[in-house]
Amino acid sequence: MATVVALTPLAACGGSSGSGGGDTLTMWTFKQSHLAALRNAAVQFKKQTGITVKIDAYGPDDAYTTKVQAAAKTHDLPDVLEVHSDGEDLVLGGTGIAKDIAGDVGSDWSGLYQKGVQTSGTVTDEKYKESLPGDSKTHGVQKGQRFSVPFTAGTFGIVMGNKQKLAAAGITKPPANWAEFIADLKATKAKDPTGGGVALGLKVKATGLTWVLQPLAFADLGKDKYQALFGKDSSADFSSPDGLKVLGLYDQMQPYWMPGAQTQEIDGADQAFAQGKAAWDIGGTFTLAFLQQNGMKPDDVMAFGLPAPADGAVPQRALGPLALTGLTIASTSKHPDNAEKWMKFLAGQQVAAQFAKDATDVPATELGGDTASVMGATLADMLKTFNGTPDTTYDPSLNDFRPPTYDQDSMGDVLADLTPLGQKSVEQTGKAMAKLDNSFWATSK
Amino acid sequence: MTTAPRPAVAEATGAGRSTAPRPPGTGLLGRATRRTGRRRGYEALSGWLFVLPAVALFLVMGLYTVGYGFLLSFARWNGFAPHWDWVGVQNYKDLLWANPAYAPRVRHAATHTLYVMIAVPLLTVLVSFPLAVLLNSARRMQTLLRSVYFVPYVTSGIAVFFAWQYILQPDGAVNAALKTLGMGSLAQPQGWLGNPHTALPTMIVVTVWGAVPVAMLMYLTGLQTIDRSVLEAAELDGAGWWRANASVVWPLVRPITAIVVLLNLRDSLQGFQTFLVMTNGGPGDHTNVLGLEAYRLAFLKDLAPTLGLASALGWLLFAAALVLALINLRVLRSRT
Repeated sequence: MATVVALTPLAACGGSSGSGGGDTLTMWTFKQSHLAALRNAAVQFKKQTGITVKIDAYGPDDAYTTKVQAAAKTHDLPDVLEVHSDGEDLVLGGTGIAKDIAGDVGSDWSGLYQKGVQTSGTVTDEKYKESLPGDSKTHGVQKGQRFSVPFTAGTFGIVMGNKQKLAAAGITKPPANWAEFIADLKATKAKDPTGGGVALGLKVKATGLTWVLQPLAFADLGKDKYQALFGKDSSADFSSPDGLKVLGLYDQMQPYWMPGAQTQEIDGADQAFAQGKAAWDIGGTFTLAFLQQNGMKPDDVMAFGLPAPADGAVPQRALGPLALTGLTIASTSKHPDNAEKWMKFLAGQQVAAQFAKDATDVPATELGGDTASVMGATLADMLKTFNGTPDTTYDPSLNDFRPPTYDQDSMGDVLADLTPLGQKSVEQTGKAMAKLDNSFWATSK
Repeated sequence: MTTAPRPAVAEATGAGRSTAPRPPGTGLLGRATRRTGRRRGYEALSGWLFVLPAVALFLVMGLYTVGYGFLLSFARWNGFAPHWDWVGVQNYKDLLWANPAYAPRVRHAATHTLYVMIAVPLLTVLVSFPLAVLLNSARRMQTLLRSVYFVPYVTSGIAVFFAWQYILQPDGAVNAALKTLGMGSLAQPQGWLGNPHTALPTMIVVTVWGAVPVAMLMYLTGLQTIDRSVLEAAELDGAGWWRANASVVWPLVRPITAIVVLLNLRDSLQGFQTFLVMTNGGPGDHTNVLGLEAYRLAFLKDLAPTLGLASALGWLLFAAALVLALINLRVLRSRT
C-alpha cells in the first residue's frame, strides 16, 4: 500500500527516483495536527526520491507568524512553509519572500485540487485591486503571480454536537433551520445548565463575527444585501433594518453560550467541548482533528453546517470551501525544484487520502469516489455543507465588498458587546458597527 | 599613599645647581612628568578598555535599537518588506486623532491604562506599607514570613498568569470559595475575567499581587534604617502604635513611597504581558491597555504594515513615562 501511495504522485510529478538525491528540504507548519501526517508523507517521499524533508511545527498561529517574520528578516526561512491561504502567502509574495510559482504550476498540477480551490494563492484581478492601497497587507503583488498551492481545504461555521449530550436532551438529528437550532440549544441547556451550552473561542475576537454572524446574515439576507451590510449606504448597513434583523437573530444565542466562552481561545473552547463542558462547539472542518487529539472520537460528534433561517433569502445556504492552508516556497530556498516536487507529491490523490486519515483534516486535493470511506462519516458529513450553487453558497474568501483597511478584530470587539457580554442592545450594536465600518471607508486611500 | 616630601622632586627643584632654564621634558623633573603622563595615558587607555564592552553594547543594543525604533515611528512597514515607506508624523497623527480606525481604540486603551495607573500604585502602597510594618514588628519567623510574602515576585511569569486564569474561571477556585463560604451571590457565572465590569478590576488585583513583594521589601529596608531613638521619643511623647506609624514612620519612608509609586506608574503605563496572557484585551476590548495595543499593532495584525504605528505608540508611552519621571523627581526634591 505504501509503495502504491508513494508511486502514484511521483508519476504525476514526472520525476524519477533519486532526482534530488541526498538533498534535504526543510518545512515549517503552524498546525500541530498536521505534523505527524506530514512526516509520514515525508518518509514515502524519501523512499522515492532520496530527498529528506525535515518538518517542524510552531504554534499557535500568532507565534508562527512572528517566527516567520523574524526568520524572513534574518534570511533563515525554511524551503517550504505552510501558510494561511490567500493571506500570508500573498503578503510574503508582495515583499519578495515567497517565490512566484505561477509559471511552474500547470493545469496538470492545479487540476489535482478541488475545483473551488484550484487557483488559491494566485493574484487574481480582485486580489490585485485589494493590494493597490499603500497600507494594504498585500501591497506589491502583481496580477497573475502565484505564491502558494492549496494544501488543506474546508470552511468555517461548522457546528459540532456531543451526540451523547444531544441524545440526553432528545436530539437525534441535526436541526433543519436556525429556529430549530435555537430550540435545540434551549433543550440541551435545560437538560444540563452548566454543560449544555455552546463553546466558541470568543477570546479570539473575530470568531463570533466570521463563523456565525456572517454565514447567518448571508442566509437571511442573500448575497447582495449581506454584502451591503459592509457598504457605505446607511440604508443597508448594520444600522439598517436588515442589519438589525440579523443582529437580532445572532443575539438569540445569548442565553446558550458556555459559561466563560468569551475568555476561551479557539483551542480552549474545543478542549472544553471535548471534556464535556459544552454540548455544542462551533468551529470549522479543521476542528475535528483537534477534538480527536483531545480524546474525542469523531463518531461521537454530530457535525453540520450552521443552520439558515427557514424564512431567509437563502434557506438552503451552503458553506463554500476555501483553501485554508497552502504551501509556499521561500525565495531564499536553495532547492526550489525539490520543494516543488514535494508540494506536488502532497497533492497526489493517494498521498492526500492518507494525509486525510492521519490528520483527520480535509485535503485540498480532489479525492474522488466515496469520501466517507476515505475520511470517515463525520468528516464526510461536514463536506455536505459544500454542496450549493454560486448563488446559495456563502464564500468566506470574498472580501472585495469591504473597505481595504477593514479590521475584523475591531468589528468583533463591538459585536461581543451584544453577545455574549450583553453590554449593548441590538440597535446600539448596529449603530456602533456601522460607525466603525464607515471609519474604515473613510481611511481607505 | 603618602604625605611625606618626595626626595626626587625636592632634589630636582633644589636651587643653585643651575639657573639656566631647561627645556621641558629634560632632567629629573621632566622625566618624572613624562612618567606621570605616560602612567596617566595607560590609566586612561585601560579605563577605556574596561568600559569599551559596555559602550559597544550600549551603542549596538541601546543607541542603535532606540534610533531604529524612533525612525520606524515615521514609517510604514510590515516587519520584513525590503523598504520602509516614509509617512512623516502621520503615524502619530493617526494614533492621536486623525484615523478613526486607530484613535478611538487608543483613547479607549488610554482610559483603561489610566485606571490601572491610578489603582495599581495606590493599592500597592496601601497593601505593602502596612504589611512591611507588621513584618518589621514580627518577633518570630520574620525571615520565613518575608520569604513567603516575596513568593509572588519570584514566581511571577507566564505559568502563574495561566494559573490565575484557571482560578478566575467560572468553575475556578475563587467562585468555588465564595460558594463554600455562603457568598455564592458574589460569584461570577461568566468568570471574573468574563464579566466586563469585573475584568479590569480583577486584572488590577492580579497586577498588585505581583507588585506588592518588591514594594514591601523596599519599605522593610526603609523601616529597618529608622533610628530606634526616634520611635522611642515618640513613645515617650505619648504616641501610640497607630500615631507613631502615621506621624513618624510614614513621613520618614516617603522617599520610598515615591519610588514605589514611580516604579508602579511606569509598569502600569508600559506593561502588558499580564493582559496579553490573561485577557488579550477582552472580553471585547474592556481590558485593552496602551502597551497591549502597541503589541497588537506590531504583531497581531496579520502582517499588516503597522509596525510604524506600534513604534509611534511606544514613543508616546515613553514621552508620558518621561513626564511622570520628571514630576516624580520634582516632588521628591521638594519633600526631601
